[in-house]
Order: sequence, then C-alpha cells, then structure tokens
Amino acid sequence: MKTAPFTIKSGGGASWAIRLVVAAALAGLALWIPTSASNGLIDSCITALTLMACAMALNLLLGYTGQISIGHSAFFGIGAYTTGVLVAKYGWSPFQTFAVAFVIAFVVGALVSLPALRIKGVYLALVTLALGLVFPQIIKWPKLEWLTGGARGLDKTGFRFTKDNPTYEIFGWNPWGTLRGENVKPFHYWIAMVIVIIVYLACRGVVKSRAGRSLVAIRDNETAAAVMGVNLAGTKALVFGLSAALCSLPGCLSAIRTGNVTPDSTNLTVAGSITFLIVMVVGGAGSLWGPIVGSVLYVFVTEITGDWSNTDSIPGILRPLFGWSNTPPGTGIFAVLLIVLMFVAPFGIVGMYRRLQARVVTVVPKPAGTGTIAAPAAAPVEA
Amino acid sequence: MKRGASARLLAALAAGSLLVAACSGDDESTDGTTAETTAETSGGETTVADTGGETTVAETTPVAEGWAVDTEACIDPDAANAPIEGEIKIGSAMPLTGGVAAAAFAPVKGGFEAYINYANENGLLGDMTVSATIEDDQYNKDLTPGAVSKQIDAGVHLFSGIIGSPNNAAVRDTLNEECIPQLNALTGSPAWGEVEDYPWTTGILVPYTVESKVYAAQLAELYPEGATVALFYVNNEFGQVYADAFKELAGDYNLEIVDEQTIEATDAAPPTSQITSIAAKAPDVVMAVPLGAGCIGFLTELAAAKAQNAGWAPATFITNTCASSLILGAAGAAADGLYTSGNLKDVVAPSNAEDPAVKEYLAYMESQGLADIAATAAAGWTTAEVTVAIIKQAMESPEGLTRASIINAARNFEYTPMLARDGVVDKMNGSEDAFLAESLQVLQYDFETATFTDIGELITEFETS
Repeated sequence: MKTAPFTIKSGGGASWAIRLVVAAALAGLALWIPTSASNGLIDSCITALTLMACAMALNLLLGYTGQISIGHSAFFGIGAYTTGVLVAKYGWSPFQTFAVAFVIAFVVGALVSLPALRIKGVYLALVTLALGLVFPQIIKWPKLEWLTGGARGLDKTGFRFTKDNPTYEIFGWNPWGTLRGENVKPFHYWIAMVIVIIVYLACRGVVKSRAGRSLVAIRDNETAAAVMGVNLAGTKALVFGLSAALCSLPGCLSAIRTGNVTPDSTNLTVAGSITFLIVMVVGGAGSLWGPIVGSVLYVFVTEITGDWSNTDSIPGILRPLFGWSNTPPGTGIFAVLLIVLMFVAPFGIVGMYRRLQARVVTVVPKPAGTGTIAAPAAAPVEA
Repeated sequence: MKRGASARLLAALAAGSLLVAACSGDDESTDGTTAETTAETSGGETTVADTGGETTVAETTPVAEGWAVDTEACIDPDAANAPIEGEIKIGSAMPLTGGVAAAAFAPVKGGFEAYINYANENGLLGDMTVSATIEDDQYNKDLTPGAVSKQIDAGVHLFSGIIGSPNNAAVRDTLNEECIPQLNALTGSPAWGEVEDYPWTTGILVPYTVESKVYAAQLAELYPEGATVALFYVNNEFGQVYADAFKELAGDYNLEIVDEQTIEATDAAPPTSQITSIAAKAPDVVMAVPLGAGCIGFLTELAAAKAQNAGWAPATFITNTCASSLILGAAGAAADGLYTSGNLKDVVAPSNAEDPAVKEYLAYMESQGLADIAATAAAGWTTAEVTVAIIKQAMESPEGLTRASIINAARNFEYTPMLARDGVVDKMNGSEDAFLAESLQVLQYDFETATFTDIGELITEFETS
C-alpha cells in the first residue's frame, strides 16, 4: 500500500496550527465581508449563508441518518410564515419569532418522521415530497387566509427602520449605526451568520456525540443499530425534528430580509427543496463542510454567469460553449457539474478533497482514550 | 453504500429538473405569450412618432406646481438632489432563468434593451446617453435584493421594469430609503399606489382592480337583468388580487358568482376538473384569470366543455395578460368570441400594418435581429419608452436631471406611448392619481381573422382628467 509523503498527528502541534490558520482566515473573511465588501457581495453572501443553513439541516437528516427529504422547503416556509404572521399581524419583534418558529418546525418535523419509522428510501422521499407540495396549498387555503394572507402572502414582515427609529440596539449597545437602505445589509448578514453558526454547532454537536454515532449506525444498517441498542423511533423522530427546526431559521431570515412572504416563493416550494438537496450533494453529503462548500459554489456559479446572456460578458475561451444561449447558463452549468460529480466524486467536493488529501497527507488519529474526555480511573487492584 | 445510492438517485432527479429549468428559459417563441399579455395590460407610455424618417419624442406635459418628493427623509438627501450628467444608468431585475416565468418574460428584456438602443441612436435625450443593465433574479424574491444591490454598487440612477409583485416589494424599502426611483414596476398590484409610504415606487400596468371593474361594467351592459358568473383564476398573488376585486364588485353590478375554481401557476396539466365543475353550474359568464400557457389550456378545456354541454354558451371574459395574438392563436377556435381588453395596439394585426408607430417598431426590432420576439416584446419596449420619457421630462425641469426630479417627473406625468391605442393617455398626478395606466378598451377576439374588435368606446373613466 502506497503511503502519503506527509504525516500529521491529529491533535498534535501541526494539526492545531493548521486549524488555527484556517479558523483565523475564515474569521477574517467573515469580518471583512460586512465591513469592506460591496453591498452586492454582502447580499450574495446572505444568499449563500441562507442556502448553507438549509443544506446543513438537510445534511443532518440525509447525509448522516440516511433519511431522504424532498420536503424541507416546508420547514423553511414554516420559519418564513411564523415570522411573517407574528410580525405583520401581531407586531412582534422579528427576533422573538425565531424561537417560536424553531419549536413549531420541530414539532411538525417530528410528526412527519412518523412514517419514516416504517418506510425508507424512495417511499420516504415521496412522503416528504408530498409535504413540500402541500405546504403552499395549506398557506393558500381560504380558511387560513385571515392568518396567512392566502395567495397574496404577507407584507411588511421585517424590521421597519425609519428616520426616527433608524437602528437596532442590543441592551443599549448600538454596533450597527443607521440601518436604513443599503446599510441594513450588514445587519442581515450578521443574522445569517449567527444562524449558520448555530446550525453548524448544532449539527456538529449531534454528529460528534454518541447520538451522532447512532445516526450513522441507523444510516448504515438499521437492524444492526437496533441490535446494538439504538432507539430507532426516538432517534429518527429527534433528528427529523431537529433538522426541520434548524431549517426554519433561515426561513425566518427570508421574511426579515425581503419584508414579505408569499407561498409561491422559490424556497417555499419543492424547487427550494431540490436546491437545498443539490447544494448538499455537490458539497458533500455526510460531511459538515459539504453544505458550506456547496452553497458558496452554487452562489458563485450563478453570480458569475448571471450576465452571460450577453455574449460579450462571457470570457473568450468559454464563448463558444455558452455564446449560443440568450439566458444565463448558471443553473445548467450546475446541473452538468452535479452529473459529473456523481461519476467522479459521489461524496461531493469535500469527499473528493479528502480522497486527494489522503494521497499527500496521512492524518494519524489520536489513540483511543486520549481525547478531551478523561479516561475512567483504573479500578483498584484487589489484593 | 446506501447513502451513496440514494444520493445519486436524488441527484440525478435534481439534475434533470435543473436542466429542464435551465433549458426552458431559452425558448422565446412560447414565452412571448405571457410577455405580450403583460404588454397589453401595461399600456405603457412612450411616444415616439415617425414623421417621414425623422424621429421625434412626443412631448410630455410637465406639471409646474405638482407633487414633489421630500428628500429630507432620504439617507443621503444630497445624493438624491445631485445632478446626473453624461450617462444615465437604468437598472432592472427580471426572471431570465428559472423555468416557466423566465420563458414567459424573456422577451420583455429584449424589448426593453431594444428601446434603450433606439433612444441612444436617435438622440432622444440630447447629449446624454442612457444605458440599461438587467439582472436575473429567477423570479425568486430572495434573489432580487442581491440583483438590485449589485446595480446600486455599479452606480445606477434608477430602476425600471422590475417584474413580479413580491420581487418589487422585496426591494421597495431599500430603494425608498436610498431615494432611488423604482419606476414602472411590471405588475398590476394595487400596492404600487402607496404614495405616502413609498413615494419612490411606481407601477406601469393597469391595476388589476381597474381591469376587474371594466369587465364588471361590460357585463352589466351585456346582462342588464343580472347574470351568473363562474370565476376561474390562477392561485397566486396576481389571480387572487384580481378575483377579490371582482367579487367585491359583483354585487354592485347584479352579478352572482356561482362557482370559483383555481389552478396553480406551475400546473401544466389542463384544468379539466375545474372546467367540468364550472360547466355543471352552467353560468352565463365565465370570468377567467389564467397565466401564460395556462390561458391556452383554459380556453381549450372550456371549448371542449361547451361542445359536451349543448345549449351552454357562456360569454367568456379573460384577463388581458392572455390577450396576445400568439396565445389566442395557439388556442385556435377555442378563443373565438372571447372578451378581453387592452390599451396597446396589436403589432401583428393586419389592420395595424400601416400604422406609422407599429411600422417603426417592427422595423427597428428587425434591425436589431429581434423580429422573432417583436410580437411579444412590446411590454418591454413600452416600459423603456415611458422611462426615457420620464427622464426627458426630468431633464427639462427647473431642477435639472436628478434622482429627485426623476420621481417628481414620474408622479407629474402625462404621456401617450407610441404603441398605445388611439385615445389612451397615461397620467400620474401625485397622490391624487398614483397609477399610470388606467384606460382600457374592451375587445372581442375573432378567430377567423385573428383580430380584435373594439367593443364600445375606450374606457377612460378611471384615469384622472
């Protein structure tokens, strides 16, 4: 067996140095964007962060537990409509609505998981697909129009910063300055960033814990997992509920960011679910970094190709490939990329990176019992 | 490897749907239908007359003592009042990809850009040049703020022709706080009349509420003793606003609504069960608000239902978003005799072939290589024409060309677009009249000749005098 030319010990000095450099670079980038980038770039980042959070939530369910969902747009919609209704109809502060949306989506998600106890694979996909399809119809249901606004949707669902009330203070601290017009972008960016951090930490906390190992066990072999003592029903319901609840948070942001919610919004329909799925699969299912990479790439490709309907905007070398199209080819490029990835890197970009990395660097895991959790004290030796 | 198999299966499905969505945006010929309909509704307002080879812009009528925006509420009042020199940049966001919507609206972009070229080539703004950038928001309101921000970063002076009610609403706060004119929203939502809250936002299409009133009044003339009506509408914001307005008016015009059926905007299947339900009630009138290709499906199903129910021959009223020769031509004999409305000339009607404005329009579109979408791009052309006319009026104002003078000009505006029907004068007058286009002509379609016949006079009672 061929060995990699370099070796790094997990938890060793080199490993920590790399982690610190990456963390510092990411933190620097996260700070640079809202303070120095153009408003257009900030907005693109908000879009990427929104997709990131949705794909992470879906990854917890599909990537780690193996339960397929094509209905996560409904949970996104629960978030959007919870914020929309509470802000527009009842005058709540948008921040107060996040917790309510989380709880509602968790309960709905746990209920939807009930069929998952008996069915799996394509059949479960169909159940969740039905959820995704029926959600906009429920919102449009005439008997709920008094609450949801029906097909018209709801207006004025975000913060209303006025000349007399131009900012948002946190216990008297005002880190934002005036939040009117384009100045509100960094504010929305930080909301999106906090959501992503929360979703990431929640996913990481689950995945790296005993519960996470239960999820992977369920994914790989349910029978074996049950034999090993994993509570299948409880674990599935919990992870479905948690995934749904996490997916509702970017939905809340959507209502805040655009100031309106409508049942036909792309992310509230099955098209939204498919986008979340694609982002996750391209980045790498079953990897914490997969949705991050996938969402950034998705937004990058669609942004870069946004004006390629104009032939002059296409880089010369690519003009013969895309010059014929009179519409931006971003979604088409991403679709082709997805198909290619399924052949060359079925575990997504992160999976491909790990495979290539293994040829260069061997990461030696820590010996068992040397983690942060203290090893149990040795039993006293009986005389 | 269960995970891999599932993921690959789903990915393949997802990729397929993405490809379908991506490819559907390329077809202009089918899209045009909705776009043209939009054009019909809009009744835009540019006026360029061709006088023997010499192109002139029709005079707008500046209001000396009119409504004026308060720039003190702006984040940067100085920027709102700063003179604009050299080149004026117009921004917009339209669905250029993303499936059905993109297919429907793609020609609007072509028409819009064609008129901008036309304005520059003919020096309609004197020494100034005008440019337009149109970003793709995929008809997704979550992408509209980014598309608009990008253009603000690039220094656009105003926005015009953003398509979709939620999309316009998504950037309304930002643009009003930044005091950047958001002109000619390409939707007929009554929301664009909120002058007090959103003075920098205006619409260009005839409000759906006005169109509903026009049809109700026409029905009252056709059925003085009252009539039973079945409503069929697309189940989105457009359809619901329209239907709500009609239902509110029905009592006043002695109309009884006996059935109400809807169809989803994304539903490609013909509305067989809905039409069966309507036929079972045998109403005197069917009032329909479908969208895009749904117009064809509705008309075809209705014709089939009429054939199966001998003796039932309801009068059919259909929203003018369906009133393009392409859509009605595709519907064939099923469209014969239906009532609709419009305020733009049908550019492909033989009766308009010698009309100077129509000839000018068609010739220019051909010169730009856009002859194939000429029939469906009039909405974009007219929107750009009105925008240029507003800019021209602002340039001629005592303040000169600024963002504030542009919105002041827009809200004190009177103009007749070159493709408008005779007698149409579009007006806005501060908060007294917040809607630009409110004149409509009721029309009846004749399948044999593929033309529209005017029914009664042009209805101008909703327009300010």
